[in-house]
Amino acid sequence: MGLLSIIRKIKRKEKEMRILMVGLDNSGKTTIVLKINGEDTSVISPTLGFNIKTIKYQKYSLNIWDVGGQKTIRSYWRNYFEQTDGLVWVVDSSDVRRLDDCRAELHNLLKEERLAGASLLVFANKQDIQGALKPAEIAKVLDLAAMEKSRHWQIVGCSAATGDGLLQGFDWLVQDVASRIYVLD
Amino acid sequence: MPSGGAAGMEPEPDQPKAVAGGGRRKHLAMLERLSKHSSSSTTSTASALPDSTSASPVVAFLTRFAAAKLAAESALSACRASSSPEDEATASLAAAAAAIDDLDRLVAESSHALPPYELRSALAAAADLRAAHRAAASEIRPKKSFSFRNKSRAPKNPPQDPATVPPPQPPPPEQPKPSIDVILPGFGFRARNGATLVKDLRVSNDKDGDFTLADLVSCEVFLKGKCRALYVHKLRDCRVFVGAVIGSVLIEDVEGCTFVMAAHQIRIHEARATDFYLRVRSRPIIEDCSGVRFAPHALKYDGIDEDLKESGLEEETGNWANVDDFKWLRAVQSPNWCLVPEEERLQTVDISEIHEREHDS
Ligand SMILES: Nc1nc2c(ncn2[C@@H]2O[C@H](COP(=O)(O)OP(=O)(O)OP(=O)(O)O)[C@@H](O)[C@H]2O)c(=O)[nH]1
Ligand SMILES: [Mg+2]
Repeated sequence: MGLLSIIRKIKRKEKEMRILMVGLDNSGKTTIVLKINGEDTSVISPTLGFNIKTIKYQKYSLNIWDVGGQKTIRSYWRNYFEQTDGLVWVVDSSDVRRLDDCRAELHNLLKEERLAGASLLVFANKQDIQGALKPAEIAKVLDLAAMEKSRHWQIVGCSAATGDGLLQGFDWLVQDVASRIYVLD
Repeated sequence: MPSGGAAGMEPEPDQPKAVAGGGRRKHLAMLERLSKHSSSSTTSTASALPDSTSASPVVAFLTRFAAAKLAAESALSACRASSSPEDEATASLAAAAAAIDDLDRLVAESSHALPPYELRSALAAAADLRAAHRAAASEIRPKKSFSFRNKSRAPKNPPQDPATVPPPQPPPPEQPKPSIDVILPGFGFRARNGATLVKDLRVSNDKDGDFTLADLVSCEVFLKGKCRALYVHKLRDCRVFVGAVIGSVLIEDVEGCTFVMAAHQIRIHEARATDFYLRVRSRPIIEDCSGVRFAPHALKYDGIDEDLKESGLEEETGNWANVDDFKWLRAVQSPNWCLVPEEERLQTVDISEIHEREHDS
């Protein structure tokens, strides 16, 4: 048995998943994580580094890594790639001007070999804001169709402010990862 | 049937997951293993991964740091949560203290191998945990409620001066150039020169919207009321007054401007020679800025108190002065920003008499 399958087996036993949250600064990553964990979201600072949360979700234990998205620290994202099962890319749907940036960073990230096997959930966040772009429009601008065949992905509209859509997104991600990793059960 | 074997009997060392649901004893055991591991160079995590070899001490550090941080956090929450006997809380508290000590040791041992950013954020995380520990301790000896608000970010004596390590040079990300067409601009003022621009968000139905200020030169902008998000891009020589932003403000590429505003978060990128009069819930951050100055909020109009209150911004947190410069990863004060000297500060600006109507000049 190879090393990787041993690792997978241990993971399978403990029903654990490692989730990496990335996206431009200000997109709402930290707010999303605190919201699904039922924590107070009234004072959140821009993330200077990373936060880790272990959240029990259904029968799984999610290890969520929330990494800061400010330009200066994007080059550190790669330090968190190892063993990522699920990738969550968060988009501020009302920040139309930076969508080009957003697409460039996303496609850059998806070239990364260590993330090749990870399922991708795109959260079109801030849907509570009037005038925010709809998930279908975001999908178009980010050119998600380009990876139709090469990766499991899904885009979900959400609002970390109200909580709408968050569970729907995580449900998909967790199911998708589980169907790849835990098939042996 | 799952197979038995050694892996099933013992939690894996060096894996954050081992801590998540465990009790205090487990934390302590794990921390002991951690500190043993920290003196030998390989860990099971690092060696089990095909492409994380010993050439990546940062990854190894992050993994161990994460585990130790989780241990400290769960010990702390255990002692906060326990409505149980005092000695149990005291034990959790001691476990937390030990875990935080280990964190510090881990950081100190690895500091020579860490890039300045990782080092600084690790130091900040350890300092935050210490503050939380102090708070928890003072709760256990029954005292009045304790405020977490002004926890300090950096320890008094960092194990090593991060300033001696050269900052890393991240490769610039690739920039494909197709642009976004057919997208309706949201509410806002765009492409104006020498105008007075006034918007009262209370009389319109835009309060759940975002607002954009873009490509303005020599304008005065008055925005009364509340909005959910504010985007500011490319302003020159402008004066901008904003009531209350329920979420965040993102400011990019401004020069020679003055901003007076209140918001939950404020992120400032590429600002030059600009003053900010702020009320802000979290720490304002700057990136790629120079010559920016900060002062306390100074705005008044009929009804501003209600707007601030309804936006959760009635409290002066003092954070207007706690600026984080993401481009300055050292312990000493960033050269890119300072406070506006008191004698130069604006008096409170009263915009009650300015009403919605654009006056172009
Ligand atoms: N209206 C609205 N505001 C949101 C939503 N999600 C997040 N925000 C606000 O957006 C701002 C940024 O949120 P954060 O969670 O700090 O963003 P982040 O992606 O973690 O940012 P970095 O840590 O810098 O990478 C905050 O002021 C949030 O209150 C949302 O769904 N709706
Ligand atoms: Mg964050």
